[in-house]
Amino acid sequence: MFAPATSITAKVFRFDPSKEKEGHLQSFIIKTSEPLSVMTILAKVHDLDPTFACRTSTCFKGKCGSCLIRVNGKNVLGCIELVQPGEEITLEPPSHFQLIRDVVVDFSHPLGAQQKYDEETEQ
Amino acid sequence: MKITKQLQTDVLIIGAGGAGLRAALAAAEAGSKVIITNKGPLAKSGITLTAAGGMQAPLHPQDSPERYFEDTVQFGYGLADQNLVHCLTGQACAQVAEAERFGAQFTRDETGNLALSQFPGQSLARNLFFKGGGVGLVAALARACRENENISILEDFFVTGLINSCSGNAAISGAIGLNLKNGQLTAIAAKAIIVATGGCQRLWEINDCPTDATGDGILYAFRAGAKLVDMEMVLFYPSVIVWPPSLKGAFVHYEFLDQAILDGNVYDKDGQAILPKPLPVRDEAMRIMAKAIIDGRGTEHGGLLWYVGSSPKGLEAVRKKLDIAQYNYIRKHGVDPATEKIEVAPGAHYLLGGIHIDEECRTNLPGLFAAPECAGNFDGANRLAGSGITAIQVFGAIAGLAAHHWAESNDHCEADPLCLAKEISRVADRLTDCSDLEPAVPRLRDQLCAAVQNFAGVIRSESGLKQLQQSINDIRFELLSVKVPKTTLFNQQLTDLLQLEIMCETAQIIAASALFREESRGHHFRSDFPQQNDGKWLLHTQAGKSENGLTISTKDIVMRQKCR
Repeated sequence: MFAPATSITAKVFRFDPSKEKEGHLQSFIIKTSEPLSVMTILAKVHDLDPTFACRTSTCFKGKCGSCLIRVNGKNVLGCIELVQPGEEITLEPPSHFQLIRDVVVDFSHPLGAQQKYDEETEQ
Repeated sequence: MKITKQLQTDVLIIGAGGAGLRAALAAAEAGSKVIITNKGPLAKSGITLTAAGGMQAPLHPQDSPERYFEDTVQFGYGLADQNLVHCLTGQACAQVAEAERFGAQFTRDETGNLALSQFPGQSLARNLFFKGGGVGLVAALARACRENENISILEDFFVTGLINSCSGNAAISGAIGLNLKNGQLTAIAAKAIIVATGGCQRLWEINDCPTDATGDGILYAFRAGAKLVDMEMVLFYPSVIVWPPSLKGAFVHYEFLDQAILDGNVYDKDGQAILPKPLPVRDEAMRIMAKAIIDGRGTEHGGLLWYVGSSPKGLEAVRKKLDIAQYNYIRKHGVDPATEKIEVAPGAHYLLGGIHIDEECRTNLPGLFAAPECAGNFDGANRLAGSGITAIQVFGAIAGLAAHHWAESNDHCEADPLCLAKEISRVADRLTDCSDLEPAVPRLRDQLCAAVQNFAGVIRSESGLKQLQQSINDIRFELLSVKVPKTTLFNQQLTDLLQLEIMCETAQIIAASALFREESRGHHFRSDFPQQNDGKWLLHTQAGKSENGLTISTKDIVMRQKCR
């Protein structure tokens, strides 16, 4: 019998385009014995290291899209994506908008693939 | 740090939630050039998005603005300014039509008419429901704003403060803000300014608002000399989720527990039902629940159990009623709200107090307007379900038009150079080249929220509120020396810090106002003054800036007057 897992490992994308040439992943360990949403994990990483930038506002409905994020290579809504204790995840900025810093993107600057994304999410 | 960009407009609106967007449309359609700022991305931040989507309007065949007026004044415990209640109730139906004109949609019943439900305190069915809830309303208004050529939208733009004028008719010349996308400190000159930044519910540990709800505009107006009223009055929603942690802050409908809807109840840890039927209005319910938790009847997570799983309406009816985004969100977190017990507690939901306005949404500072939720004197000591959305649409439209008229007949005013320099240095002094800093802001924020929750929550007392004042002073003292690294792009550490400063100052005003009102009324309950005292306290508390910092006084309530 294994002991129950008590943490989630989050590898988050760090990149400040005004200071660096390329981004890298940084690991954080979030202590929890309950499943957490990706959005909750991001807020906890931001509290551990406030230099890490991420959006924290939510509509509590899974509708507004402010928490859009790339989890293990797939664009998802972070507020309704659950992660179990013991899991390790990679969190990167969503790929359809221009990056501002770390995982924060500029929603008023969609990149070319935006239309395709809209079609995918409307289904 | 210097001003690196200058902008100029007729009307500046701070905050692009439901009120700010509605105000922008009113001002722009009347012909003003409008800049609207939002500290997050448009339609992806702000408090309106979290609204379930109910909007009160007297559309029932037997209903009238008069009945809506009577209900509002009665359940506001007499504390609402009645000139404003006249505006709210008289213009609600017109704003339903306006919302539809801007592309928002309401749910309809089987006959094709707008569906109306009756919530506690409403003498007739008066609640409409937006398709898509608050998100549906904001998305429609945002689209209309984007299509209006008179409106410029600044997203991810954090206004740091208002700038007083040194001459002319207006008291305010504009605002300073940080463009988070590129780090530009921007000065915006405006003839008229509308504050539409919402409430400060994030001050309470248990709340159901997004992280944006830090009360920025209320405090900016206060710092600039505007009067605030009834800041002790915050609406506690009875059923905010406290567990599991990933669902913290979402809420389940208290109103759905009604006999006519799902006929559920809230239970203690031993399975005893807590609420009487018919359901009391929300302030009574939250007090009953808070008392049960204090009496040790709560769960290990400090909650009670909201449950509709044994509804006499049957599982199918429950599933149908809960087939909306808000409950689908809960299901996606692995919890089935139709069959499982949900751990809830009363949480800060809506700020009843705020910036004092008249029936034209004017503050006491010429040229400065405010629209709810940050405006404060039309609800009183309680608010009925669905009035929040009505208020942001009615007063948003009034504020937009009034600001347009002001901008038409007044010129730009020169900024007070001293005020401008002070505001810039207030922000710039927080920045340092040092990058290896102990992060103090999350810890101090949690301390502040715990203190406000404990001492200015559902049950308050003189000794508790004085302890709160001391805690805030200690936190503010420590916060004085906190600095954050210079970061050009998305300096979230700076906005976190500035917001915490705002929260501390706002908490001081709330504590002082709550201490001053020595009675219990609506959502303000003092264990040392448990009775409502109409002989002495049918009055607003008023907070104003003075040489000593903060002065609390009383202000008369406006009795029955027509809205122009």
